[in-house]
Amino acid sequence: MTFDIDINGRNRMVSVERAAAGRYRVIVDGRAHDVDAARVGTFGLSLLLDGDGGVSREVEVAPAGGPGEVLVRIDGRIVAATVNGRRTGRASADSGPLARGVQAVVAPMPGRVVRVLVAAGDTVTARQPVVVVEAMKMENELRSPKAGRVKDVAVAAGASVAAGRVLIVIE
Amino acid sequence: MPEPARRPVEPCPTLLRFMKILIANRGEIAVRIIRACREMGLPTVAVYSDCDRNARHVREADQAFHIGPSEAAKSYLRIDRILDAAARAGADAVHPGYGFLAENAAFARACRDAGLTFIGPSPKAMALMGSKTAAREAAIAAGVPVVPGTERPLDESVSDDDIAPMAEAVGYPLVVKAVAGGGGKGMRTVDDRASLSAAIRTARSEAGSAFGDSTIYLERRLVRPRHIEIQLLGDEHGTIVPFVERECSIQRRHQKVVEESPSIAVSPDLRRRIAGAAAAVARTVHYSNAGTIEFLLDETGSFYFLEMNTRLQVEHPVTEMVTSSDLVQWQIRIARGEKLDIDPERALTPHGHAIECRIYAEDPDQGFMPSPGLIRGLRPAAGPGVRDDGGVSAGYTVPVFYDSMIAKLVTWGPSRRDAVDRMARALREYQVLGIRTTIPFFLWLMRQPDYVAGRYETTYLDRLLAERNGQSFSELTESDEELASLATALDAYLRTSARYALAGQGSAQAPWKQAARREALRE
Repeated sequence: MTFDIDINGRNRMVSVERAAAGRYRVIVDGRAHDVDAARVGTFGLSLLLDGDGGVSREVEVAPAGGPGEVLVRIDGRIVAATVNGRRTGRASADSGPLARGVQAVVAPMPGRVVRVLVAAGDTVTARQPVVVVEAMKMENELRSPKAGRVKDVAVAAGASVAAGRVLIVIE
Repeated sequence: MPEPARRPVEPCPTLLRFMKILIANRGEIAVRIIRACREMGLPTVAVYSDCDRNARHVREADQAFHIGPSEAAKSYLRIDRILDAAARAGADAVHPGYGFLAENAAFARACRDAGLTFIGPSPKAMALMGSKTAAREAAIAAGVPVVPGTERPLDESVSDDDIAPMAEAVGYPLVVKAVAGGGGKGMRTVDDRASLSAAIRTARSEAGSAFGDSTIYLERRLVRPRHIEIQLLGDEHGTIVPFVERECSIQRRHQKVVEESPSIAVSPDLRRRIAGAAAAVARTVHYSNAGTIEFLLDETGSFYFLEMNTRLQVEHPVTEMVTSSDLVQWQIRIARGEKLDIDPERALTPHGHAIECRIYAEDPDQGFMPSPGLIRGLRPAAGPGVRDDGGVSAGYTVPVFYDSMIAKLVTWGPSRRDAVDRMARALREYQVLGIRTTIPFFLWLMRQPDYVAGRYETTYLDRLLAERNGQSFSELTESDEELASLATALDAYLRTSARYALAGQGSAQAPWKQAARREALRE
């Protein structure tokens, strides 16, 4: 079986083939790994990497968000991954100066718009705060995903917003 | 159930009084208090809102009562409902924890009027020290230096134009603070006149929504101060015992995120002087139960009274770890009239070093945006010198309604360096699946040379974060990123084969299918 895995904006083709009980041949972008894998709980994987002298690694892959979106935990660090091309909104907000095209600043959780810091037509830099949303008792500044021009301000101060609601559009 | 007021007075008041304690809180602090009560053999009563029905504190308490909808204002802040739950449960005492009603003098009074013992200071001391401006006056009366600032609270009727000359007198840079403030809310730094009005507006709006009181005051901002605080206990017989200081200078936007004890910047001599000043302030208000006096310590070793917190603090475990004490048990013992039986020398002598990291359901890679959601897996760190004060469990959905702290991870070591290394080890072990947490950020912090060397003050973290400009705390090496891809694909493969095998179950089960299924589900 072949999967299309996206982590940190980089796409890798990964094919998995069962070699024997608990043993798999995994090819990542052409590089082959012989792996002894055991499930630990619902989301954990204990991996013994044969080619690397029996190196033992623990990785957890837990669903987060929509189908195909997972959070991968590796040595205390957490990265988002997508399986077979389903991209998260989070990933696009993360792409910084490289981001292209029209992008939206969306409410990541339900809250109340406290202040709108830009107006339609304003020029913004990447990571410039554009709107302040109060959620979980804290005021959070949402930043522009890219440098560009404010195409649309879709909310006003005082508005209650649901998670995923488009607040500001940047082009 | 009998009304608490109608209960007969126990003939032996000291040890038999309050057989049952209601905890007017939730999350990790409710669990912490339940642990203390269970060790003392005291039954506990939890209260919960709609979204907390399956919360950990509900399961760990002996009794639990629903007190309303998820919004705090309709549940955990409803004095009437909490008192009603206490009456239904037949509780004799109330522990408020921190946050919510913990520093609400009206709540303390209402408990007393209902015949319940409030585990905390008297309503009078609470009201006095709860006002930042009145607390400053108490410090001045005790001969303790305060940070220069406006002596008078400034309510909405005071215009920006009237405040501007006061700001000049205090001197820039200054901090606009909420009189009823706490936890960094309603607090803004101002560098010059041009940004004063905006800061006043934000501070008032935040203070109004967080505390129901938009009154503010101004305070000079010291240059690179450390935040040092003294935990103290006072009993109802006039004894005040101050403890080893806590160092809380690692703050993000005025919110403490890492606390330690002792402070690398405090010598035994300075410790005695700060502790003495803290005890003097507490004595002027006849303080009883647990409280903390916060100071700013500047580069010259001068310290200034900042404020007093009239409650148990989030970071109390680091004090417990270096003084081998249980502050929550002491709160309960003091409230039932016992005398403090702590050697003051021992309370001021740190044994080893302790560090606490506040683990929040926040995404450090998205500007620490709250990241509520379903916790799919949880395995707290353990092993030598590790303490987990957790408040959640797997299967619980972190709600959007409250503070997003899910656990406090504390490590102890014979030296500060040992405690730091142990924290890095414990953070790496700590597994929270399904939501983002601040664990990767703390792992990064524990490797920062200035943090490891103890070279930091209250502005350190914000400066360090600004320099990073949003760079991820979970940066993987090329080979780890490849491993993460490999594991993600393998996980998807195993799930897919398990589904195929299950789908095949209805028909005649081929042996290979059974084998594939067993393997795919292998745990």
